[in-house]
Amino acid sequence: MISLTGLNLILPQLIIALAAIIVMLSIAVKRCHRFTNLFTLLSFAAAAISVLYIPRGSFGVSSLFVVDGFGKFFTVLIACAGFVITLMSYHYLNAREKRNEEYYILLLLSSLGALTMVISNHFVSFFLSLEVLSVSLYALIGYLKEEPAGIESGIKYLVLAAVSSSFLLFGIALIYMQTGHLDLSGIAAGLSSSGEFSGVFIAGLAMVIVGIGFKMALVPFHLWTPDIYAGASAPVSAFVATVSKGAVFAFLLRLFYSTGGLENKNVWTVFTIIAVASMLFGNWLALRQQNIKRLLAYSSIGHLGYLMVAFLAITDRGMQAATFYLVVYFTGMLAAFGTVIYMSNKKGEALYIDDYRGLFWKKPWLAAIFTTVMLSLAGIPLTAGFLGKLYLLTAGTEVGIWLLVIVLVVSSGIGLFYYLRVVAVMFAGKNENEASSEPVIGKIFPHGLVLTLLFLLLLWFGVYPSSLLEIIQQIASVIR
Amino acid sequence: MPVNYYIFLSLALFAIGIVGVLIRRNAITFFMCIEIMLNAVNLLLVAFSKMHHAKQAATLATAGIDGQIFVFFIMVVAAAEVSVGLAIIVMLFRNVHSVNVNFLNRLKH
Amino acid sequence: MDVFQLLWLIPALPFFSFLILSLSGSKFSRTGVGVFATLSVGISALITLIIGIQFLSSPPAGHFYEQTLWVWFDVAGFKPSIAFYLDPLSLVFTFVVTFVSFLIHWYSIGFMKTEEGHVRFFAYMNLFVFSMLMLVLANNLLLLYLGWEGVGLCSFLLIGFWYKDPYNCYAARKAFIVTRIGDTAMMIGLLMLVKNFNTLDIASILTTAPQTWSPGASQAFWVTILLLGGAVGKSAQLPLQTWLPDAMAGPSPVSALIHAATMVTAGVYLIARTHVLYELAPAVQTLVAIVGAATLLIAGFSAIVQRDIKRVLAYSTISQIGYMFLALGVGAWSAAVFHFMIHAFFKSLLFLSAGVVIIAMHHEHDIFKMGGLRKKMPVVFWTFLFGAGALAAIPLITAGFYSKDEILFFAMASTKGSTWLWLAGFVGAFITSVYTFRMVFVAFFGEQKHDIHYKPGISFKIPLIILGILSLIAGFIELPHTFGHFTPFSDFINTVFPAVQLIPEKEGLELTLQISTAILALFGVFLAWQLYMKRPQMVARFKETGFGKRLNDFLFSGWKFDWLYDTFFVKPFVWLSKIDKSDFVDRIYGGVANLNLYFNKLLSATQNGNVRSYVLGVALGAVIALTIILFL
Repeated sequence: MISLTGLNLILPQLIIALAAIIVMLSIAVKRCHRFTNLFTLLSFAAAAISVLYIPRGSFGVSSLFVVDGFGKFFTVLIACAGFVITLMSYHYLNAREKRNEEYYILLLLSSLGALTMVISNHFVSFFLSLEVLSVSLYALIGYLKEEPAGIESGIKYLVLAAVSSSFLLFGIALIYMQTGHLDLSGIAAGLSSSGEFSGVFIAGLAMVIVGIGFKMALVPFHLWTPDIYAGASAPVSAFVATVSKGAVFAFLLRLFYSTGGLENKNVWTVFTIIAVASMLFGNWLALRQQNIKRLLAYSSIGHLGYLMVAFLAITDRGMQAATFYLVVYFTGMLAAFGTVIYMSNKKGEALYIDDYRGLFWKKPWLAAIFTTVMLSLAGIPLTAGFLGKLYLLTAGTEVGIWLLVIVLVVSSGIGLFYYLRVVAVMFAGKNENEASSEPVIGKIFPHGLVLTLLFLLLLWFGVYPSSLLEIIQQIASVIR
Repeated sequence: MPVNYYIFLSLALFAIGIVGVLIRRNAITFFMCIEIMLNAVNLLLVAFSKMHHAKQAATLATAGIDGQIFVFFIMVVAAAEVSVGLAIIVMLFRNVHSVNVNFLNRLKH
Repeated sequence: MDVFQLLWLIPALPFFSFLILSLSGSKFSRTGVGVFATLSVGISALITLIIGIQFLSSPPAGHFYEQTLWVWFDVAGFKPSIAFYLDPLSLVFTFVVTFVSFLIHWYSIGFMKTEEGHVRFFAYMNLFVFSMLMLVLANNLLLLYLGWEGVGLCSFLLIGFWYKDPYNCYAARKAFIVTRIGDTAMMIGLLMLVKNFNTLDIASILTTAPQTWSPGASQAFWVTILLLGGAVGKSAQLPLQTWLPDAMAGPSPVSALIHAATMVTAGVYLIARTHVLYELAPAVQTLVAIVGAATLLIAGFSAIVQRDIKRVLAYSTISQIGYMFLALGVGAWSAAVFHFMIHAFFKSLLFLSAGVVIIAMHHEHDIFKMGGLRKKMPVVFWTFLFGAGALAAIPLITAGFYSKDEILFFAMASTKGSTWLWLAGFVGAFITSVYTFRMVFVAFFGEQKHDIHYKPGISFKIPLIILGILSLIAGFIELPHTFGHFTPFSDFINTVFPAVQLIPEKEGLELTLQISTAILALFGVFLAWQLYMKRPQMVARFKETGFGKRLNDFLFSGWKFDWLYDTFFVKPFVWLSKIDKSDFVDRIYGGVANLNLYFNKLLSATQNGNVRSYVLGVALGAVIALTIILFL
């Protein structure tokens, strides 16, 4: 039984759940896009702020959840990302779809899934969170009814996510067989009493890796990524790229650090192969890509691969580096998709790199922001991306995982090519055939403002990282 | 019955499911195959639950019960998944008048 | 409030101005852009002035003030910080940079009135001021290097400002590439410092270096010689001086600001800043003096035969920086800094006046086509004359006399000096006054060759007048022993530097040296008058002779250094590239690129859009993972 006093521990999750219900009811009374958007914004803000009212320390909420500094940090991160995506969705949806209110229910619900996942301490709560996140996402991805690509990507995601969930569940069942527990602490205890990892247990881990790797779009489970990014509407792609991956990564850290699964050499090898392949394949795939959303999809595969380097270091510094990098990645991806949304018009999105040709001469601010985002994703000094990579590299070199470190450096070099290609196009001569005379969706408020904010954050973390790092250092040791 | 039998049975079911997804083209059949895979897991969980219960019933009356509870959650989630999936398939059918997944090839490379 | 806390604003203001101008400069009116840029630098100058007064009236403890804004990152004990370091040395440089920049920005409002791309111009200028201030105020060498590269970039952009003329782009490239050679050396030097001390913090390097390295240590030798490489590149000294005359392709305010007053003296600053290291490597310090002496002579002789007014000034800049290097080399640190300050005033003045003349002459640079400008443009004439007087070190009444005289005295009397070094400087002083007044007489006296109706505006005149006055009176803050012995400047700056070690028996020579220098300077003026006003046919006839012609050509081309480098570096390089026409070297890189492209195509094929093959990918992944885990 949960006593009422424990409720304040899961305040952010409660707020978002309640908000979803209220939005649903309000639609039944009266449809009003402006109200729904504003209300969603407020509830994300409230969820982020309510974290302040959770006391310090690590608390279990039944055996399903554990609320600690790490979980709180990710809660704030996801709520902020949800806030930004909601802001960027308003004008976009107004321009492209008639009935928009349900979008916010789905957005709130899938955020709820992500929020519960980051505090999950049990396979049941993890699985339920994952499905709440995914099932809402199926609908979100196919939300634009007029868009055949949206429906196509919706079905693709649905089929693949369902298949990968089956693998995940099979893995969970095998782990359950070995340990007799579904909660992570029970699994850890069961393991330490039996000593050696049995074959069934690590086979289970392997299948859990399939499910998690799919959600995080790691090679070889990455094939869906570009199609879904390209087919879904840009705000939803931003959501898939950030919130859904970040939440799963948080659980990955919890699962493998608290059960000590990474101590098995073969599991570690599998992850190393996955990380190396993700870093290289992601960047290779992006090289000649002309569609900016697919390009970002491939780049996100590479970035998640970079993240795995810190994950595999299994040190406090590695944890800090991974968390820092994830924040930087969130900021960069949100700003990148924000720019795509800004440049879209009623007829469609600004999908191709050529749509950005000569942007600097038309909208210098926007071009400056997008340039900074690209440079940050590429890891150029004075942007946040550089320091993120630097921390990843130090985390890797400290424990001497040289293969991963070298691949990280090499693939960053490959990545430079396509990021700079986008930058070069923006500074190239003016677009000769001004094909689309439609005005862009983006407005100074709120698009321009929120993009500027993200842009400043990228620079701020790039020149003054300790502001963020000090917070991360407080929470990073909690999990182990 | 030894628990191994259940493992082999559910492995077989799981394999049937995955092969089905791989070789069939009809989206509805896809869902049936996925359902088979999920039910293979359900079977496995129930079997393990029984196994753990039999082992520890003397010390803990509720031992192994969480496996069975998990099964209910999986069933519910599968139902939800299918309902959303069918809705999307209806939309697909409206667009291309077919539920053949091979028509889903607009997005590539 | 403690005014020192405003320190960060000094570089920040020009930077913000740069950001605003580059992103929304087109929204400003034409004069608005210039006024905005000028004001940002002006406020910086004002803050510098306030901080400077505070520094003089109540100096902070230890005669330095350090402002750490934040630590950039902290990785493996290496933590570069964004921090500023203000001591008398950096204060003098900051003051000169902000103040001269302010005047030149002001002047540029008029200069750019009719030019295309004025927003770009002012944005780059502001970026330059920011970078230069970062260079000067940095408390660690990484930040200094950032500023160092920043000013190099701005110099490149501004030399090629009129990019439509291919020659200007060539000049910009040349400047960039030649300085790059020096920068590479400097980079290696910095890496050696990191390796030895695991920090780039200037103060801590300077305190630990004497404890770890004994004088003459080989590491000190290599580090200083590599840093010297960076310094000679940036300051256009032998053997990397060839870029500066071509850099005159940029607009005149750029030449005044970057290629006369501030950026080219960065090398002087670098050596002065790291003077402790140079004292540990006496051989390199002597080399600095020799480089300075050789450069000042070579550049001085070249200046005599130039016809382009800006090229004369460019060669004179190289030569004057040679004096500063000479002073650094003999350990007369404060004399070098003093000459830097005076030089910044009079040389920017000369360039700005020349800029007005060039505008009035419709972009005519040849002094022999000018003539008789004295009556038509009195303000420009007088200010130019003041600047020229300071450059030629006309005794007693100009600032240049006091600064140059000090250097010559130390070149002779310092324990690190010698008669030869003094003689080089002495001859150089004579040549300086000859070429300076050749320029004055030919351009401003004689008969008028063009009719001029141009009236320079107020934004031209005021900066000129201020700089003109400074070129005359700024020298009075440092008077020699023989003439009042009033030395607030060196007293102020010598909290940073050790005093010059003098040879006692040569100390008494001071008055003799001064008088001989003074007479020589005046004689140079007289000679210029004789040769170029009274008997121009004599020079012309000399040029007709075979030897004269060859000598003229030789000097005109700057001692054929370009030819030398062309023959020994560029041509062999082109030759090598010709052998490599089929690009077998490039094939390695091309191969790498093609390999990546190949993988790209290979992997793109997997993204076939078919959901069933995606499922196959997941299933195969699962099989592979299981295989590795269970059977490896």
